[in-house]
Amino acid sequence: MRTATAPVAPETIDALGTIVAQADRGGGKISIAGGNTLSGMGLPLEAPALALSTLRLTGVVANESADLTIAVRAGMTLQGVNVLLAGQGQFIPFDAPAPQYATVGGTLAAGWLGPRRHRYGRLRDYLIGSAIVLADGSVARAGGMVVKNVAGYDMSRLYVGSFGTLGILVQANFKTIPAPGHARIFLAPLPERTRERAFAALAALPVAPSAAFWVDGFHNSIDGDDGNEGRVAVLLDGSEALLERATRDLRSALGRAGVPETRVFDTGARESFQRIVDAYVANLGERSVTYRIASFPTESAERALNIQQLARRYDLRTETIVDALNGDVVLRASGLDSRTLGGKIESFDDAIHELEPGAQVIACEHPHRVHLNAWGEAPAAVERMRALKARFDPNRTLNPGRFVGGI
Amino acid sequence: MKRLGMLRERLIGALGTDGVKTEPEDLSVYAFDAYTDGGRPLAVVLPRSTNEVSAVVKIAREFGEPIVARGAGTGLCGGAVPAAGGIVISTMRMNRILELDAANRRARVEPGLINLDLSRRVAADGLFFAPDPSSQQISTIGGNIATNAGGPHCLSYGTTVNHVLGLEVVDETGEVFTTSIDDSGYDLTAALVGSEGTLGIVTSAWVRLLAQPEAVRVWVAAFDQMEAASEAVSAIVAAGIVPTALEMMDSVIVTAVEAAFHAGYPTGAAAVLLVESAGFEEDVAAAESAIRAIVNQHGARYMRGARTAAERAALWAGRKGAAGATGRIAPNYYTQDVCVPRSKLPTALRAVAAAAAEHAITVGNVFHAGDGNLHPLLMYDRRDRRQVAAVVLTGNAILESAIELGGTISGEHGIGWEKRDAMTRVYTTADLAAMGRVRDVFDPRRRLNPEKIFPSGARCSEVTPP
Repeated sequence: MRTATAPVAPETIDALGTIVAQADRGGGKISIAGGNTLSGMGLPLEAPALALSTLRLTGVVANESADLTIAVRAGMTLQGVNVLLAGQGQFIPFDAPAPQYATVGGTLAAGWLGPRRHRYGRLRDYLIGSAIVLADGSVARAGGMVVKNVAGYDMSRLYVGSFGTLGILVQANFKTIPAPGHARIFLAPLPERTRERAFAALAALPVAPSAAFWVDGFHNSIDGDDGNEGRVAVLLDGSEALLERATRDLRSALGRAGVPETRVFDTGARESFQRIVDAYVANLGERSVTYRIASFPTESAERALNIQQLARRYDLRTETIVDALNGDVVLRASGLDSRTLGGKIESFDDAIHELEPGAQVIACEHPHRVHLNAWGEAPAAVERMRALKARFDPNRTLNPGRFVGGI
Repeated sequence: MKRLGMLRERLIGALGTDGVKTEPEDLSVYAFDAYTDGGRPLAVVLPRSTNEVSAVVKIAREFGEPIVARGAGTGLCGGAVPAAGGIVISTMRMNRILELDAANRRARVEPGLINLDLSRRVAADGLFFAPDPSSQQISTIGGNIATNAGGPHCLSYGTTVNHVLGLEVVDETGEVFTTSIDDSGYDLTAALVGSEGTLGIVTSAWVRLLAQPEAVRVWVAAFDQMEAASEAVSAIVAAGIVPTALEMMDSVIVTAVEAAFHAGYPTGAAAVLLVESAGFEEDVAAAESAIRAIVNQHGARYMRGARTAAERAALWAGRKGAAGATGRIAPNYYTQDVCVPRSKLPTALRAVAAAAAEHAITVGNVFHAGDGNLHPLLMYDRRDRRQVAAVVLTGNAILESAIELGGTISGEHGIGWEKRDAMTRVYTTADLAAMGRVRDVFDPRRRLNPEKIFPSGARCSEVTPP
């Protein structure tokens, strides 16, 4: 969802700070965006706002490749960073949709959680330093360029997932890790009778895959469909020797679970994985709404089935991605057109939250989006979160109303 | 005196007589942690539950007394000692595993649980808790969380914050709240981990457990020069190899450790590198040949592996007991804790040697080389005032050089009482004010572990108590 008016896109941190300070003093509101790839998350702002873009705030501040650290401006795209790092044999597990557009700042601000975190950890765990423009226009830095640092509060991690409501992230310092040399993806149909055993087999593999999904629907994202029963997709990465062993283990485990046939790709494996990640927020214009539910791996398949059934009761078409290793359930519910979805969307939203109170809307372009419970039930510590907002942004200048609990 | 008696009575009412200590000889036990400076509390309490912690906090608030939460007292920066009077809450009786969900690799534990006990008790499920400070045989999970503790295995697993999934916390009013990294909203869990007890008192934590690696191997390599050894460390990491641990010891430490433990380190070398690789057989085997080639290129005298689990354990016992072994060299030691970018290790080590030489202090280096996290042990005799002064000057000089090299003033021990004034050397007023805003929300009256972390002169972030 692009904003109607052209956003202001400062090229320096100082210029951005000046704009923010002026707005804050004058009672103006600011909406902040990077590549707009996760703009379907969160609530609309409570007041008209100046659109501020970080897209021109780009560039590498420091690239200490021998130290496995890098510092970049927030407007750099994930692809830009990872192409640079790939040239040095390194990577950061960003795992976000549309990396050619998604920015470092936006991905961090949204607290995006990728499927490879089971193996590599959360993106926040790679953030070793940051610079943030606060509501008064001043710049606060935290951390630095060392991989271990416990000097004071971990402010960088606090900004991750804060949706720009505490300040605008303008620089991110990361530790990087050596890139795995090889990648391989497995695709197989996943008939209903095999699903439970396949999930258990994946969890018990001695060499953990980097990602494993049950994908139901999303026909444009991956091939190898088997009617409505979905597919299993497994990503392995690592050294050639490791892949050989993991491949044998995975083949026999899936075979024992009754999965009928497995196709294996080396060429294009990373692209296939990326297409599944892209599907998390791919919307069907105004006729779909996509929810994400955090779950435990042992419960995720059952919870996915329950919400699929619920959607069918509302006569909505469903497509699902279940992250077998982390437990995330992504459900895209769609109607024939905007009107048919519009007639059901709010009551379906109530029903899904009754079943899954934490369900978050991660992609929706339907006009009724403003009436949805976009964040799910308020977190236990919401009052403390409101107090933090009040202390960091007393005039509610930054992204007012967009975040959890109306923050 | 009357007020103290009333306070004592109220605390006993909440916890029973066996949960409250006010006798001077009991209190002096809690006057110090592993840092040199201390301060005696008015009372020490040993609650058994979240409710009891909450009750104590409410009583303390009524009496206007500050609170310091304390685990095993192994902290090295004076973080767990009272600044002036106040009540110490010891978590040592809250040491249970409350829930174990092995299938989803997580457990809910109380803060007084000993770090190593957790790994021991989940071993049968093929799991372990990754953060392993050298004090892990006695340090508590609560203390690890308060300081965001590190350890040799940080290199591949990260510090404690990477392994905490959620917290139950008592705030400064005695109210209980919970956080989870999977909740929507701000990541309060990350803000609380490493806050050194200034934002709340953790009464239970969901922690992440990892699957035990199928293969673990440990090697020692001996070098004739520290510089060559630290260059080898940088080269290993730069080559894209991330061992699970990459530890270095100089000849002062190796000599002391061998005399104390017979760990199996080569004597007579200027530097010994301890390398551990863990994971899948295929990867560990590949790491070994790559590491061997690199250390040879850097002039290692030799590299050899532990042949048995017992040999491996002995090598680690030597490393983890290194600080204690220096008791053979001097009656006291002070551990500095700074972190520099890995490639600056050789320069940082030269600066350490120069500072020690200038002030005529014996220094032993034992540290997490793979992280650039230095721990010079400055040896002295506390009874000699000249030596005490020289140690302070040497420690400061090391801190200065780390800052100049783009490093930080604490890699894993924390700021506490010791380094709070050094915070202004790495952070601006605006940076510290942002941290102060977090403090304002959780502890506006500065009753939780006051006078820690924040520089003594910091007024910018303080608010008038309501």
